[in-house]
Amino acid sequence: MAETSASNPFEALDEKARRLNKALTQKAPIGQTPKAVVWTLNKAKLYRYTPVVPPEQRHPVPLLLVFALMNRPSIMDLRPGHSFVEFMVKAGYDVYLLDWGKPGKEDQHMTFADYALEYIPRAVRKMKTVSGSEEFSLLGWCIGSIITTLYASLRPDDGLRNMLLLTAPLDFTAKESLTFAKWTDERYFDLDKVLATFGNMPGEMIDYGARALKPVENYVSSYVKLFDNADDPQAVEAWHAMNTWMTDLVPIAGGAFRQLIDDLYRNNRLIKGEFVLRGERVDLARIKANLLNVIATADHITPACQSESVMSKVSSTDKELIRIKGGHIGIMAGGQAKKTWPLIDDWLASRSK
Amino acid sequence: MSDKQQPVNPFDPATWQAGRDAYLDAWAKAMVEAVNTDQYAKATGQMLDSYLSASHPLREVLEKSMVHALQHLNMPSSTDLTALAERVTNIEMRLDDMDAKLDRIVKQFAQAAPAKPRGVAVKTKRARSTKRG
Repeated sequence: MAETSASNPFEALDEKARRLNKALTQKAPIGQTPKAVVWTLNKAKLYRYTPVVPPEQRHPVPLLLVFALMNRPSIMDLRPGHSFVEFMVKAGYDVYLLDWGKPGKEDQHMTFADYALEYIPRAVRKMKTVSGSEEFSLLGWCIGSIITTLYASLRPDDGLRNMLLLTAPLDFTAKESLTFAKWTDERYFDLDKVLATFGNMPGEMIDYGARALKPVENYVSSYVKLFDNADDPQAVEAWHAMNTWMTDLVPIAGGAFRQLIDDLYRNNRLIKGEFVLRGERVDLARIKANLLNVIATADHITPACQSESVMSKVSSTDKELIRIKGGHIGIMAGGQAKKTWPLIDDWLASRSK
Repeated sequence: MSDKQQPVNPFDPATWQAGRDAYLDAWAKAMVEAVNTDQYAKATGQMLDSYLSASHPLREVLEKSMVHALQHLNMPSSTDLTALAERVTNIEMRLDDMDAKLDRIVKQFAQAAPAKPRGVAVKTKRARSTKRG
Protein backbone atom coordinates (compact mmCIF):
# COMPACT_ATOMS: atom_id res chain seq x y z
CA MET A 1 0.00 0.00 0.00
CA ALA A 2 1.41 3.41 -0.98
CA GLU A 3 2.18 5.74 1.90
CA THR A 4 -0.04 8.81 2.06
CA SER A 5 1.70 12.11 1.44
CA ALA A 6 -0.62 13.97 3.80
CA SER A 7 0.96 14.69 7.11
CA ASN A 8 -2.43 14.31 8.74
CA PRO A 9 -4.97 12.28 6.76
CA PHE A 10 -7.77 13.47 9.01
CA GLU A 11 -7.03 17.07 8.07
CA ALA A 12 -7.19 16.16 4.38
CA LEU A 13 -10.50 14.38 4.97
CA ASP A 14 -11.84 17.34 6.91
CA GLU A 15 -10.85 19.73 4.14
CA LYS A 16 -12.49 17.51 1.56
CA ALA A 17 -15.69 17.32 3.60
CA ARG A 18 -15.77 21.11 4.03
CA ARG A 19 -15.20 21.60 0.31
CA LEU A 20 -18.07 19.26 -0.55
CA ASN A 21 -20.35 20.78 2.04
CA LYS A 22 -19.71 24.27 0.69
CA ALA A 23 -20.38 23.14 -2.88
CA LEU A 24 -23.64 21.47 -1.89
CA THR A 25 -25.07 24.01 0.52
CA GLN A 26 -23.84 27.46 -0.48
CA LYS A 27 -24.07 29.63 -3.55
CA ALA A 28 -20.89 30.24 -5.53
CA PRO A 29 -20.06 33.81 -6.52
CA ILE A 30 -20.91 34.00 -10.23
CA GLY A 31 -21.38 36.89 -12.61
CA GLN A 32 -18.35 38.69 -11.23
CA THR A 33 -17.21 40.77 -14.22
CA PRO A 34 -17.70 44.46 -13.29
CA LYS A 35 -20.80 45.96 -14.82
CA ALA A 36 -23.31 48.77 -14.38
CA VAL A 37 -27.04 48.92 -14.96
CA VAL A 38 -27.76 51.36 -17.78
CA TRP A 39 -31.45 50.68 -18.31
CA THR A 40 -34.34 48.95 -16.62
CA LEU A 41 -37.91 48.10 -17.54
CA ASN A 42 -40.15 46.05 -15.28
CA LYS A 43 -37.95 43.14 -14.20
CA ALA A 44 -35.48 43.51 -17.10
CA LYS A 45 -32.10 45.12 -16.71
CA LEU A 46 -29.56 46.09 -19.32
CA TYR A 47 -26.01 45.83 -18.04
CA ARG A 48 -22.97 47.40 -19.58
CA TYR A 49 -19.71 45.71 -18.71
CA THR A 50 -16.91 48.02 -17.69
CA PRO A 51 -14.49 48.23 -20.61
CA VAL A 52 -10.88 47.32 -19.89
CA VAL A 53 -9.48 48.23 -23.28
CA PRO A 54 -8.83 51.92 -24.13
CA PRO A 55 -11.56 53.45 -26.34
CA GLU A 56 -9.27 53.83 -29.35
CA GLN A 57 -8.51 50.11 -29.31
CA ARG A 58 -12.10 49.02 -28.72
CA HIS A 59 -14.41 47.63 -31.40
CA PRO A 60 -16.81 50.49 -32.20
CA VAL A 61 -19.81 48.18 -32.75
CA PRO A 62 -21.26 47.15 -29.36
CA LEU A 63 -22.37 43.60 -28.60
CA LEU A 64 -25.68 42.79 -26.88
CA LEU A 65 -26.04 39.37 -25.26
CA VAL A 66 -29.48 37.81 -24.90
CA PHE A 67 -29.99 34.55 -23.04
CA ALA A 68 -33.01 32.34 -22.60
CA LEU A 69 -36.09 33.15 -20.53
CA MET A 70 -35.48 30.37 -18.04
CA ASN A 71 -32.27 30.37 -15.98
CA ARG A 72 -30.12 33.40 -15.37
CA PRO A 73 -27.86 34.96 -18.02
CA SER A 74 -24.96 34.70 -15.58
CA ILE A 75 -24.01 31.54 -17.50
CA MET A 76 -22.30 33.96 -19.88
CA ASP A 77 -20.17 35.21 -16.98
CA LEU A 78 -19.80 32.14 -14.83
CA ARG A 79 -16.58 32.84 -12.93
CA PRO A 80 -13.30 34.72 -13.42
CA GLY A 81 -11.11 32.99 -15.97
CA HIS A 82 -14.10 31.01 -17.27
CA SER A 83 -16.36 33.78 -18.49
CA PHE A 84 -17.44 34.53 -22.06
CA VAL A 85 -18.23 38.11 -21.04
CA GLU A 86 -14.79 38.57 -19.49
CA PHE A 87 -13.19 37.14 -22.62
CA MET A 88 -15.07 39.48 -24.95
CA VAL A 89 -14.47 42.53 -22.76
CA LYS A 90 -10.75 41.79 -22.80
CA ALA A 91 -10.95 41.30 -26.57
CA GLY A 92 -12.06 44.92 -26.84
CA TYR A 93 -15.82 44.65 -27.26
CA ASP A 94 -18.28 47.03 -25.67
CA VAL A 95 -20.42 44.31 -24.10
CA TYR A 96 -24.01 44.63 -22.91
CA LEU A 97 -26.22 41.96 -21.41
CA LEU A 98 -29.99 41.94 -21.20
CA ASP A 99 -31.20 40.21 -18.05
CA TRP A 100 -34.91 39.40 -18.36
CA GLY A 101 -35.34 39.10 -14.60
CA LYS A 102 -37.93 36.85 -12.96
CA PRO A 103 -41.48 37.34 -14.21
CA GLY A 104 -44.15 37.78 -11.60
CA LYS A 105 -47.86 37.04 -11.68
CA GLU A 106 -48.43 40.38 -13.41
CA ASP A 107 -46.21 39.26 -16.30
CA GLN A 108 -48.09 36.06 -17.08
CA HIS A 109 -49.56 37.55 -20.27
CA MET A 110 -46.19 38.57 -21.68
CA THR A 111 -45.47 36.95 -25.01
CA PHE A 112 -42.61 36.79 -27.47
CA ALA A 113 -44.04 39.97 -28.96
CA ASP A 114 -43.29 41.83 -25.74
CA TYR A 115 -39.77 40.49 -25.56
CA ALA A 116 -38.95 40.99 -29.26
CA LEU A 117 -40.89 44.19 -29.97
CA GLU A 118 -40.75 46.07 -26.66
CA TYR A 119 -37.85 44.98 -24.49
CA ILE A 120 -35.19 44.38 -27.12
CA PRO A 121 -35.86 47.54 -29.16
CA ARG A 122 -35.86 49.63 -25.99
CA ALA A 123 -32.68 48.01 -24.74
CA VAL A 124 -31.10 48.55 -28.15
CA ARG A 125 -32.19 52.17 -28.11
CA LYS A 126 -30.46 52.72 -24.78
CA MET A 127 -27.38 50.78 -25.86
CA LYS A 128 -27.03 53.02 -28.93
CA THR A 129 -27.23 56.11 -26.73
CA VAL A 130 -24.67 54.84 -24.26
CA SER A 131 -22.28 53.42 -26.85
CA GLY A 132 -22.69 56.20 -29.40
CA SER A 133 -22.98 53.63 -32.18
CA GLU A 134 -25.97 53.34 -34.48
CA GLU A 135 -25.02 49.78 -35.41
CA PHE A 136 -24.71 46.82 -33.09
CA SER A 137 -24.22 43.07 -32.86
CA LEU A 138 -26.76 40.79 -31.21
CA LEU A 139 -26.02 37.37 -29.76
CA GLY A 140 -28.89 35.07 -28.81
CA TRP A 141 -28.43 31.77 -27.00
CA CYS A 142 -31.07 29.06 -26.76
CA ILE A 143 -34.51 30.71 -26.42
CA GLY A 144 -32.65 34.02 -26.56
CA SER A 145 -31.90 33.14 -30.16
CA ILE A 146 -35.63 32.72 -30.86
CA ILE A 147 -36.25 36.20 -29.50
CA THR A 148 -33.31 37.73 -31.39
CA THR A 149 -34.44 36.02 -34.59
CA LEU A 150 -37.95 37.39 -34.17
CA TYR A 151 -36.54 40.87 -33.53
CA ALA A 152 -34.15 40.69 -36.49
CA SER A 153 -37.00 39.64 -38.79
CA LEU A 154 -39.44 42.30 -37.65
CA ARG A 155 -37.01 45.18 -37.14
CA PRO A 156 -34.24 44.55 -39.68
CA ASP A 157 -33.47 48.27 -40.12
CA ASP A 158 -32.80 49.09 -36.48
CA GLY A 159 -29.04 48.99 -37.02
CA LEU A 160 -28.42 45.26 -36.55
CA ARG A 161 -25.14 44.55 -38.31
CA ASN A 162 -24.21 41.14 -36.92
CA MET A 163 -26.40 38.40 -35.50
CA LEU A 164 -24.99 35.41 -33.65
CA LEU A 165 -27.17 32.42 -32.87
CA LEU A 166 -26.02 29.80 -30.37
CA THR A 167 -27.83 26.45 -30.13
CA ALA A 168 -30.90 28.05 -31.68
CA PRO A 169 -34.17 26.07 -31.45
CA LEU A 170 -35.90 27.49 -34.51
CA ASP A 171 -37.05 24.47 -36.52
CA PHE A 172 -39.38 21.96 -34.88
CA THR A 173 -40.02 19.82 -37.95
CA ALA A 174 -38.26 16.67 -36.76
CA LYS A 175 -40.53 16.00 -33.79
CA GLU A 176 -39.32 12.43 -33.40
CA SER A 177 -35.88 13.85 -32.53
CA LEU A 178 -37.24 16.31 -29.99
CA THR A 179 -37.95 14.88 -26.54
CA PHE A 180 -39.66 18.06 -25.43
CA ALA A 181 -41.99 17.80 -28.43
CA LYS A 182 -43.06 14.33 -27.27
CA TRP A 183 -43.63 15.43 -23.68
CA THR A 184 -45.67 18.50 -24.68
CA ASP A 185 -47.79 16.71 -27.28
CA GLU A 186 -51.48 17.77 -27.18
CA ARG A 187 -52.45 14.23 -26.17
CA TYR A 188 -50.34 14.29 -23.01
CA PHE A 189 -49.75 17.87 -21.91
CA ASP A 190 -52.72 20.09 -21.08
CA LEU A 191 -51.17 23.47 -21.67
CA ASP A 192 -54.31 25.41 -20.77
CA LYS A 193 -54.68 23.62 -17.44
CA VAL A 194 -51.05 24.14 -16.51
CA LEU A 195 -51.09 27.85 -17.27
CA ALA A 196 -54.52 28.36 -15.68
CA THR A 197 -53.11 26.84 -12.49
CA PHE A 198 -49.73 28.52 -12.33
CA GLY A 199 -49.97 31.63 -14.50
CA ASN A 200 -46.32 31.44 -15.41
CA MET A 201 -44.59 28.14 -16.13
CA PRO A 202 -42.78 27.39 -12.86
CA GLY A 203 -39.02 27.23 -12.93
CA GLU A 204 -39.11 23.97 -10.98
CA MET A 205 -41.07 22.26 -13.75
CA ILE A 206 -38.74 23.57 -16.44
CA ASP A 207 -35.77 22.43 -14.38
CA TYR A 208 -37.26 18.97 -14.04
CA GLY A 209 -37.85 18.85 -17.78
CA ALA A 210 -34.27 19.80 -18.56
CA ARG A 211 -32.82 17.31 -16.08
CA ALA A 212 -35.18 14.50 -17.09
CA LEU A 213 -33.68 14.49 -20.59
CA LYS A 214 -30.69 12.75 -19.00
CA PRO A 215 -31.96 11.71 -15.59
CA VAL A 216 -29.06 9.54 -14.44
CA GLU A 217 -26.42 12.07 -15.50
CA ASN A 218 -28.24 14.96 -13.87
CA TYR A 219 -29.55 13.33 -10.66
CA VAL A 220 -26.83 10.78 -9.91
CA SER A 221 -23.62 10.95 -11.99
CA SER A 222 -23.15 14.67 -11.47
CA TYR A 223 -22.87 14.15 -7.71
CA VAL A 224 -20.74 11.03 -8.11
CA LYS A 225 -18.27 13.06 -10.22
CA LEU A 226 -18.25 15.78 -7.58
CA PHE A 227 -17.32 13.24 -4.94
CA ASP A 228 -14.67 11.66 -7.19
CA ASN A 229 -13.07 15.06 -7.77
CA ALA A 230 -13.41 16.31 -4.22
CA ASP A 231 -9.63 16.43 -3.83
CA ASP A 232 -9.34 18.83 -6.76
CA PRO A 233 -10.36 22.36 -5.62
CA GLN A 234 -10.54 23.58 -9.25
CA ALA A 235 -12.92 20.81 -10.26
CA VAL A 236 -15.11 21.42 -7.22
CA GLU A 237 -15.14 25.15 -7.90
CA ALA A 238 -16.24 24.52 -11.49
CA TRP A 239 -19.01 22.19 -10.34
CA HIS A 240 -20.08 24.63 -7.65
CA ALA A 241 -20.38 27.55 -10.06
CA MET A 242 -22.32 25.53 -12.62
CA ASN A 243 -24.64 24.08 -9.97
CA THR A 244 -25.27 27.56 -8.54
CA TRP A 245 -26.38 28.72 -11.95
CA MET A 246 -28.49 25.62 -12.67
CA THR A 247 -30.38 25.89 -9.40
CA ASP A 248 -31.20 29.60 -9.81
CA LEU A 249 -34.58 28.86 -11.33
CA VAL A 250 -36.63 31.34 -13.33
CA PRO A 251 -40.25 30.88 -14.42
CA ILE A 252 -41.29 31.54 -18.01
CA ALA A 253 -44.05 34.09 -18.57
CA GLY A 254 -47.25 32.22 -19.37
CA GLY A 255 -47.89 33.89 -22.71
CA ALA A 256 -44.41 33.19 -23.98
CA PHE A 257 -44.56 29.60 -22.77
CA ARG A 258 -47.87 29.10 -24.55
CA GLN A 259 -46.31 30.35 -27.80
CA LEU A 260 -43.22 28.20 -27.28
CA ILE A 261 -45.31 25.05 -26.95
CA ASP A 262 -48.22 25.76 -29.27
CA ASP A 263 -46.73 27.93 -32.02
CA LEU A 264 -43.29 26.40 -32.05
CA TYR A 265 -43.09 22.86 -30.62
CA ARG A 266 -46.51 21.74 -31.81
CA ASN A 267 -47.05 23.73 -34.99
CA ASN A 268 -43.57 24.87 -36.08
CA ARG A 269 -44.95 28.21 -37.22
CA LEU A 270 -41.67 30.14 -37.29
CA ILE A 271 -39.88 28.09 -39.92
CA LYS A 272 -43.12 27.67 -41.89
CA GLY A 273 -43.50 31.45 -42.02
CA GLU A 274 -46.81 31.39 -40.14
CA PHE A 275 -45.71 33.01 -36.90
CA VAL A 276 -47.49 36.30 -36.33
CA LEU A 277 -46.59 38.82 -33.64
CA ARG A 278 -48.87 41.81 -33.10
CA GLY A 279 -50.35 41.39 -36.56
CA GLU A 280 -46.93 41.20 -38.25
CA ARG A 281 -45.92 37.96 -39.92
CA VAL A 282 -42.39 36.91 -39.01
CA ASP A 283 -40.56 36.55 -42.30
CA LEU A 284 -37.08 35.15 -41.83
CA ALA A 285 -36.15 36.37 -45.30
CA ARG A 286 -36.14 39.90 -43.90
CA ILE A 287 -33.06 39.08 -41.86
CA LYS A 288 -30.11 40.63 -43.67
CA ALA A 289 -27.55 41.02 -40.90
CA ASN A 290 -24.29 39.11 -41.05
CA LEU A 291 -25.04 35.77 -39.44
CA LEU A 292 -22.97 33.32 -37.41
CA ASN A 293 -24.89 30.20 -36.44
CA VAL A 294 -23.19 28.00 -33.84
CA ILE A 295 -24.40 24.44 -33.37
CA ALA A 296 -23.34 22.12 -30.55
CA THR A 297 -22.96 18.65 -32.04
CA ALA A 298 -23.74 16.83 -28.76
CA ASP A 299 -26.70 19.02 -27.85
CA HIS A 300 -29.52 16.87 -26.47
CA ILE A 301 -31.72 19.90 -25.70
CA THR A 302 -31.52 21.57 -29.12
CA PRO A 303 -30.39 18.98 -31.69
CA ALA A 304 -28.60 20.27 -34.77
CA CYS A 305 -31.69 19.77 -36.95
CA GLN A 306 -33.36 22.64 -35.09
CA SER A 307 -30.72 25.18 -36.06
CA GLU A 308 -29.67 24.29 -39.59
CA SER A 309 -32.60 25.26 -41.77
CA VAL A 310 -32.54 28.94 -40.80
CA MET A 311 -29.44 29.34 -43.00
CA SER A 312 -31.52 28.89 -46.15
CA LYS A 313 -34.31 31.15 -44.91
CA VAL A 314 -32.40 34.38 -44.22
CA SER A 315 -31.35 36.92 -46.84
CA SER A 316 -27.97 37.55 -45.26
CA THR A 317 -25.19 37.42 -47.84
CA ASP A 318 -22.51 36.99 -45.16
CA LYS A 319 -23.53 33.91 -43.20
CA GLU A 320 -21.66 31.03 -41.67
CA LEU A 321 -22.60 27.90 -39.75
CA ILE A 322 -20.05 26.30 -37.44
CA ARG A 323 -20.36 23.06 -35.52
CA ILE A 324 -18.61 22.69 -32.23
CA LYS A 325 -18.24 19.45 -30.34
CA GLY A 326 -20.03 19.86 -27.06
CA GLY A 327 -23.35 20.23 -25.34
CA HIS A 328 -25.99 22.90 -25.14
CA ILE A 329 -24.29 24.73 -22.29
CA GLY A 330 -20.86 23.15 -22.51
CA ILE A 331 -19.83 24.88 -25.73
CA MET A 332 -20.03 28.26 -24.02
CA ALA A 333 -19.51 27.53 -20.34
CA GLY A 334 -17.98 24.08 -20.08
CA GLY A 335 -15.04 22.14 -21.38
CA GLN A 336 -15.33 23.33 -24.98
CA ALA A 337 -15.92 26.98 -24.16
CA LYS A 338 -12.34 28.09 -24.64
CA LYS A 339 -12.43 26.73 -28.19
CA THR A 340 -15.76 28.40 -28.97
CA TRP A 341 -15.00 31.89 -27.73
CA PRO A 342 -12.01 32.55 -30.03
CA LEU A 343 -14.08 31.37 -33.00
CA ILE A 344 -16.77 33.88 -32.12
CA ASP A 345 -14.17 36.60 -31.64
CA ASP A 346 -12.45 35.77 -34.93
CA TRP A 347 -15.75 36.02 -36.80
CA LEU A 348 -17.04 39.10 -35.04
CA ALA A 349 -13.87 41.21 -34.83
CA SER A 350 -13.59 41.92 -38.55
CA ARG A 351 -17.32 42.69 -38.66
CA SER A 352 -17.26 45.10 -35.73
CA LYS A 353 -15.12 47.83 -37.26
CA MET B 1 14.44 -8.87 -11.61
CA SER B 2 11.16 -10.43 -12.57
CA ASP B 3 7.80 -8.66 -12.22
CA LYS B 4 5.61 -10.06 -9.54
CA GLN B 5 2.08 -10.91 -10.65
CA GLN B 6 -0.20 -8.99 -8.33
CA PRO B 7 -3.36 -10.84 -7.34
CA VAL B 8 -6.59 -9.08 -8.30
CA ASN B 9 -7.90 -7.21 -5.31
CA PRO B 10 -11.70 -7.10 -5.42
CA PHE B 11 -11.63 -4.32 -2.86
CA ASP B 12 -9.34 -2.13 -4.97
CA PRO B 13 -11.09 1.25 -5.27
CA ALA B 14 -10.11 1.56 -8.97
CA THR B 15 -11.81 -1.76 -9.79
CA TRP B 16 -14.88 -0.79 -7.86
CA GLN B 17 -14.97 2.64 -9.51
CA ALA B 18 -14.73 1.16 -13.01
CA GLY B 19 -17.60 -1.19 -12.22
CA ARG B 20 -19.66 1.63 -10.79
CA ASP B 21 -19.06 3.83 -13.84
CA ALA B 22 -19.99 1.01 -16.22
CA TYR B 23 -23.22 0.47 -14.29
CA LEU B 24 -24.05 4.19 -14.34
CA ASP B 25 -23.38 4.37 -18.10
CA ALA B 26 -25.71 1.44 -18.77
CA TRP B 27 -28.38 2.85 -16.47
CA ALA B 28 -28.04 6.29 -18.12
CA LYS B 29 -28.52 4.87 -21.62
CA ALA B 30 -31.54 2.85 -20.53
CA MET B 31 -33.13 5.88 -18.87
CA VAL B 32 -32.55 8.12 -21.89
CA GLU B 33 -34.34 5.55 -24.03
CA ALA B 34 -37.14 5.28 -21.50
CA VAL B 35 -37.83 9.03 -21.28
CA ASN B 36 -38.03 9.25 -25.05
CA THR B 37 -40.96 6.84 -25.29
CA ASP B 38 -44.59 7.75 -25.77
CA GLN B 39 -45.41 5.76 -22.65
CA TYR B 40 -43.23 8.01 -20.52
CA ALA B 41 -44.73 11.14 -22.05
CA LYS B 42 -48.21 9.75 -21.42
CA ALA B 43 -47.39 8.74 -17.83
CA THR B 44 -45.90 12.09 -16.84
CA GLY B 45 -48.74 13.91 -18.55
CA GLN B 46 -51.27 11.86 -16.61
CA MET B 47 -49.44 12.42 -13.31
CA LEU B 48 -49.39 16.17 -13.89
CA ASP B 49 -53.02 16.20 -14.94
CA SER B 50 -54.04 14.21 -11.85
CA TYR B 51 -52.17 16.57 -9.57
CA LEU B 52 -53.70 19.65 -11.17
CA SER B 53 -57.21 18.17 -11.12
CA ALA B 54 -56.94 16.94 -7.53
CA SER B 55 -55.52 20.19 -6.21
CA HIS B 56 -57.92 22.44 -8.13
CA PRO B 57 -60.87 22.32 -5.66
CA LEU B 58 -58.63 23.07 -2.69
CA ARG B 59 -56.89 25.90 -4.49
CA GLU B 60 -60.22 27.39 -5.52
CA VAL B 61 -61.56 27.27 -1.95
CA LEU B 62 -58.37 28.80 -0.57
CA GLU B 63 -58.41 31.56 -3.15
CA LYS B 64 -62.06 32.46 -2.54
CA SER B 65 -61.56 32.44 1.24
CA MET B 66 -58.52 34.65 0.93
CA VAL B 67 -60.28 37.17 -1.31
CA HIS B 68 -63.27 37.20 1.05
CA ALA B 69 -61.06 37.71 4.11
CA LEU B 70 -59.04 40.48 2.48
CA GLN B 71 -62.21 42.26 1.41
CA HIS B 72 -63.46 42.21 4.99
CA LEU B 73 -60.14 43.58 6.19
CA ASN B 74 -60.32 46.26 3.49
CA MET B 75 -57.02 45.07 2.05
CA PRO B 76 -56.02 44.51 -1.58
CA SER B 77 -55.97 41.01 -3.04
CA SER B 78 -53.23 39.57 -5.25
CA THR B 79 -55.43 40.34 -8.27
CA ASP B 80 -55.56 44.00 -7.23
CA LEU B 81 -51.81 44.10 -6.78
CA THR B 82 -51.25 42.37 -10.11
CA ALA B 83 -53.40 44.94 -11.88
CA LEU B 84 -51.47 47.70 -10.14
CA ALA B 85 -48.14 46.18 -11.17
CA GLU B 86 -49.29 46.06 -14.79
CA ARG B 87 -50.11 49.76 -14.65
CA VAL B 88 -46.72 50.50 -13.12
CA THR B 89 -45.06 48.69 -16.02
CA ASN B 90 -47.02 50.82 -18.48
CA ILE B 91 -45.91 53.95 -16.64
CA GLU B 92 -42.32 52.69 -16.80
CA MET B 93 -42.62 52.30 -20.56
CA ARG B 94 -43.85 55.86 -20.95
CA LEU B 95 -41.02 57.12 -18.76
CA ASP B 96 -38.58 55.12 -20.87
CA ASP B 97 -39.95 56.80 -24.01
CA MET B 98 -39.58 60.21 -22.38
CA ASP B 99 -36.03 59.34 -21.35
CA ALA B 100 -35.23 58.39 -24.94
CA LYS B 101 -36.67 61.67 -26.23
CA LEU B 102 -34.57 63.61 -23.72
CA ASP B 103 -31.48 61.71 -24.84
CA ARG B 104 -32.22 62.71 -28.43
CA ILE B 105 -32.75 66.36 -27.46
CA VAL B 106 -29.52 66.46 -25.46
CA LYS B 107 -27.69 64.90 -28.38
CA GLN B 108 -29.15 67.42 -30.81
CA PHE B 109 -28.19 70.31 -28.53
CA ALA B 110 -24.67 68.95 -28.15
CA GLN B 111 -24.30 68.69 -31.91
CA ALA B 112 -25.84 72.12 -32.60
CA ALA B 113 -24.19 74.17 -29.84
CA PRO B 114 -21.31 76.33 -31.18
CA ALA B 115 -17.96 76.38 -29.36
CA LYS B 116 -18.12 79.02 -26.59
CA PRO B 117 -15.26 81.58 -26.37
CA ARG B 118 -13.13 81.54 -23.21
CA GLY B 119 -14.67 83.80 -20.60
CA VAL B 120 -12.64 86.84 -19.37
CA ALA B 121 -12.10 86.98 -15.67
CA VAL B 122 -14.12 89.80 -14.16
CA LYS B 123 -12.81 91.46 -11.10
CA THR B 124 -15.40 92.43 -8.59
CA LYS B 125 -14.89 95.05 -5.99
CA ARG B 126 -15.72 94.14 -2.54
CA ALA B 127 -17.23 96.77 -0.34
CA ARG B 128 -14.65 97.47 2.30
CA SER B 129 -15.85 98.08 5.78
CA THR B 130 -13.94 100.89 7.45
CA LYS B 131 -13.43 100.82 11.07
CA ARG B 132 -12.95 104.00 12.82
CA GLY B 133 -11.22 103.62 16.01
